[in-house]
Amino acid sequence: MLEIAIIVAAIALGSGIALVAGGLVGIGEGYAAGKALEAMARQPEMEGQIRTTMLVGQAVSESGAIYALAVVLLLIFTVMQPLVNRLLELL
Amino acid sequence: MEPNIVFHIGTFPVYEPVFWTWIIMAILAIGSFLLTRNLRKVPQGAQHFLEVGIEWVESLISVDVGPARKIFVPLILMTALYVGTSNLIGVVPGAYSPTADLSTTLTLSLIIYILGHAASIAKQGFRSWLKGFVDPFPLLLPLNIAGEISEFVSHSFRLYGNIFGGGILLGIIYMMAPYIVPVPLLAWFGIFMGIIQTAVFTLLASVYIQTKLI
Repeated sequence: MLEIAIIVAAIALGSGIALVAGGLVGIGEGYAAGKALEAMARQPEMEGQIRTTMLVGQAVSESGAIYALAVVLLLIFTVMQPLVNRLLELL
Repeated sequence: MEPNIVFHIGTFPVYEPVFWTWIIMAILAIGSFLLTRNLRKVPQGAQHFLEVGIEWVESLISVDVGPARKIFVPLILMTALYVGTSNLIGVVPGAYSPTADLSTTLTLSLIIYILGHAASIAKQGFRSWLKGFVDPFPLLLPLNIAGEISEFVSHSFRLYGNIFGGGILLGIIYMMAPYIVPVPLLAWFGIFMGIIQTAVFTLLASVYIQTKLI
């Protein structure tokens, strides 16, 4: 039972650390939005095109955080959940 | 993480993504039939939207597409309509988006990837296509192969992660505050992110097919 508890604790801790990737992606997307604002201030007539390109760029760069999220979801739903159920039975 | 079974036909289990894909097919088929009944040379009413859609897809073509010309616009339109309807149907309480399952997004991504390479072979011939892999420098072959795999994986995982992750977040909010709080969150995650992810998936699909044809 102790080994199962250690594995569950390690998965939970690792998931929390893995999602720090979301914060780093936030920095990049905020930087892109700032550059888009500068461009809009210089050329107000291109506003629509700048906004579209900014959204596309941010959606593409967000995929890095989505990979981390996919790994975390995979770990929690396939590895951690059966172990937690087993742990609750044994308690 | 197996999908849930909705019902059985005889002994054959029908999973949730398949069932909701049938419903999306019915919606798109009935919608297309009703919208294209009275097409006129001078557009009226709903025909304006159809023409705007088709002109937008044709404006995405900036490369000489070659023999794939006839299937390019329908392929991109099919992707946009299927992914858009599938993302937006998840907002309805009780419904399930097929794109929240990795199988659906991997299949769509695989179709677009294989069709891109097939169009490239049809345009340039087999030898020229094989030479494209060792293009700048033969030592870069592993990097080119890694780039191809990452293109295919990132394309599918982006859509899957956004829709499935949004669904999980909304599930948690439903557990904690089920009454008025979910409404603006559903508007953001369900509708806004759904439309943006549709646009990004479609745009990237057309870009991927065209970069293989240059």
